[in-house]
Amino acid sequence: MSEAVIVPPPPPETVHRILTARTADVDRRVLEAFVRALQQRMRSGLALAAVGGYGRKELFPQADVDLLLLTAVDAAPPREAIADFLQSLWDAGLRPSHSVHSVNECSTEHSDNAELTISLLDRRFLAGDAAVFESLEEKFNIFLAKRGAAVAQQLAGLAEGRRAKFQNTIYHLEPNIKDAPGGLRDLQTTRWLLQIEPQEGIPALDAALAFLGGVRIRLHELTGRDQNVLSFETQDALAENPAALMREYYRHARIVDRAVRQAIEVITERPGTLLGRFHEWRARLSTSEFTVSREKVLLRAPRPPEDLSLYEFVARHQLRLAPDTLQRMRGIAPKANWADWKRLLSLPRPAAGLRAMQETGALAEALPEWANIECLVVRDFYHRYTVDEHTLVAIGALEQISDGRFSELMGEIEDPALVRFALILHDIGKGSGRDHSEAAVEVAHQVMDRLGAPVADRTTVEFLIQRHLDLSGVMSSRDLHDGATARALAERIGTIERLKLLTVLTYADISAVNPQAMTPWRLEQLWRVYLLAHQELTKELETERIHSPAGVPAEHATFLEGLPMRYLRTHTAAEIDGHFALSRQLESRAVAIEIQHERSIYRLTLLAKDRPALFASVAGAIASFGLNIVKAEAFANAQGIVVDTFTFSDPHRTLDLNPTEVDRLRGVVRKVLEGKQEADKLLRGRPKPLLPAKARLKPRVAVKNDISEAATLVEIVAEDRPGLLYDLARAISESGCNIEVVLIDTEAHRALDVFYVTYQGHKLETPVEEQLKAGLLAACLAPH
Amino acid sequence: MKRIEAIIQPFKLEAVKEALKAIGVDGMTITEVRGHGRQKGHTEVYRGMEYQVDLLPKVKLEMVVADQRQEEVVRALVASARTGRIGDGKIFVYDVEDAIRIRNDDRGDAAL
Repeated sequence: MSEAVIVPPPPPETVHRILTARTADVDRRVLEAFVRALQQRMRSGLALAAVGGYGRKELFPQADVDLLLLTAVDAAPPREAIADFLQSLWDAGLRPSHSVHSVNECSTEHSDNAELTISLLDRRFLAGDAAVFESLEEKFNIFLAKRGAAVAQQLAGLAEGRRAKFQNTIYHLEPNIKDAPGGLRDLQTTRWLLQIEPQEGIPALDAALAFLGGVRIRLHELTGRDQNVLSFETQDALAENPAALMREYYRHARIVDRAVRQAIEVITERPGTLLGRFHEWRARLSTSEFTVSREKVLLRAPRPPEDLSLYEFVARHQLRLAPDTLQRMRGIAPKANWADWKRLLSLPRPAAGLRAMQETGALAEALPEWANIECLVVRDFYHRYTVDEHTLVAIGALEQISDGRFSELMGEIEDPALVRFALILHDIGKGSGRDHSEAAVEVAHQVMDRLGAPVADRTTVEFLIQRHLDLSGVMSSRDLHDGATARALAERIGTIERLKLLTVLTYADISAVNPQAMTPWRLEQLWRVYLLAHQELTKELETERIHSPAGVPAEHATFLEGLPMRYLRTHTAAEIDGHFALSRQLESRAVAIEIQHERSIYRLTLLAKDRPALFASVAGAIASFGLNIVKAEAFANAQGIVVDTFTFSDPHRTLDLNPTEVDRLRGVVRKVLEGKQEADKLLRGRPKPLLPAKARLKPRVAVKNDISEAATLVEIVAEDRPGLLYDLARAISESGCNIEVVLIDTEAHRALDVFYVTYQGHKLETPVEEQLKAGLLAACLAPH
Repeated sequence: MKRIEAIIQPFKLEAVKEALKAIGVDGMTITEVRGHGRQKGHTEVYRGMEYQVDLLPKVKLEMVVADQRQEEVVRALVASARTGRIGDGKIFVYDVEDAIRIRNDDRGDAAL
């Protein structure tokens, strides 16, 4: 196998000839052996038939020669005679595989030996008593006419089991060209199903047979065995340009794969079966644009849609495209801008939609860069799939996270579309011959520019692509106990939000390497890296302050001095300018307030001189309008100027429908801060929120004194409800503590709150700590 | 012959492999394992939830060497795997009765 000379597979048009010639040659030798060893001893009542691949005259050089010794009655020919017969075949260098059966056995159903029935579909008379074979012919045809449907079911079941062993994908880097999806066995399964019951609209398979057959002939010649794995080594021996050979392979395998799935679906989804009726029920999903029939989507309109709506529909309901839809969508470049992509990728399970886009070619039409990795084989020791398949498997992996910690983390991500878009492009630089992360960032930059993505989204996606190997690197080659590792990680990642995105992206990327890649070992190691970076970033909220910032005007520098580094990482230059302008208002008044409206979300920014219970008062004022706080940050600079941001939704559309309420909110916040109004009184008139009879999430409060030198860390996880933040902040104020830094996030009905607090300017002592903890737990459970 | 088994910190794997290569030890089996030593893991707090981490990811190396190489190999392992902190791991040395190379029946040291 080590020859340096490359011998390509035989030309496709010669494959049929080679296989029939090989069959004829073996026929001759089998006949000789039969005449010599068996015919003399059993002149009547015994026929010899070729079955399987040999029966249909497609005998590959090293494949088994499948023979059936067919008897008229249940009487086997003498053992020694059979042994003689087989021995002479072995001696002739063949690999016979034989069975002995009576005509009756062959024409009944065998639930435990479906292979026998299937092999008989390709029966061919070779020698012996022709009357016996004719009787089989007659009885088997009657059997098939009666029980054909059951045989087809068995065939489909065998095929599905076999395909599952290969993860149902054709895109293996080293495919088994016989057994893998899209291989010769699938091709033959399709032909058998059509033989049992003709179907319309199945793609033609002749070209695929000629290509796959040629490769298999060459593999057998090369290895001298029935070896059907197209390994890296044999790819090199078959082609000057192995990558081109493999792309051709996937092109043919894709056709076979589609054909066999289509043929199997017709068999397994017959109406009348329970499953079939359930699938019919799903027809209710049909809309004015799309019809759903048996889990598959058909187009209603005469013109196929030119946007992503079809793929969104597929992803929303986890459906697939009907063959006719596939045909009609092929070659249509969908018009999709950034908002369209985000709508698709924000669905809970968009992988099915992306798969459909891959099938119609819309993915490469919408993102021409995708063609770089389509069917791309990049050889390494671990990866099992082509780069495009790896990418789609990775996006799918995010939809089936079985580990509780990681699925919780996935649930905390505000904008999962960004992780998914980063995954689509994370390996797009492979095959460029350069550092693939760098190359992918450049591609991503152009793509998102073209799609019109806003700067914040672009920065995040580019960051994720740039750093997509960082966590894996730390997992395997950094000392997790070394403080420097945590600091370096935190420095590169910057914020907790980005850490979460990068962690789930890494989870998906590792899981998609091969089905066994995400071992418990790696899972644990990745979680440890996440924890390490999470702890460091939480700590740095309080400990890493801006000090003598470079490259900013002097007055900006005074304003920035002492704010947490996070402030710089999460705000754009324009926002910082805006805050600075607000800080100028403090020269003439106690409080500066700004309220912005962005799509469904409002943001209130306020700057003020710090005073007791400031944060709680503002949270209370906002809650008193029925608004729901989803995010909040509270920082203070070295001069004691507080910069607080509250992001809230407007569930009752109070502000939306009554524009004057925005001004009133501004006024109330100002009054509360000036001490002219009490938040508590404002809230007294509001209906108390209904609490679920049983809180779904047990509240957790952790108080840590060893994180920062100057303040005590309080972390709270609780079921979110209106007014929760006010109640928590009030509990802190009531225990006499001062809030130094706040970071509040809410995802999936869960409030994730971080407070740094002090008591009379110092960290908390144990009695205060205990009292605070009890107060916070009580606040989580019951509104004031 | 001795079988030397070393449980080390994952991030030390490259350094240890380099050190072994430098003294001419090429053959080894590497496994990703999880376990704990005397400390029995530790407690970690994540957002208010305390949980016990009792199985820590480690890497296990196994190799069989001629008797006279034992000390040299152990020294190389210790020197390259040590950080001086808890959790650096352990080395175990076992006697090996025989070794057979399946391909050609080589036995004993010749099979290593």
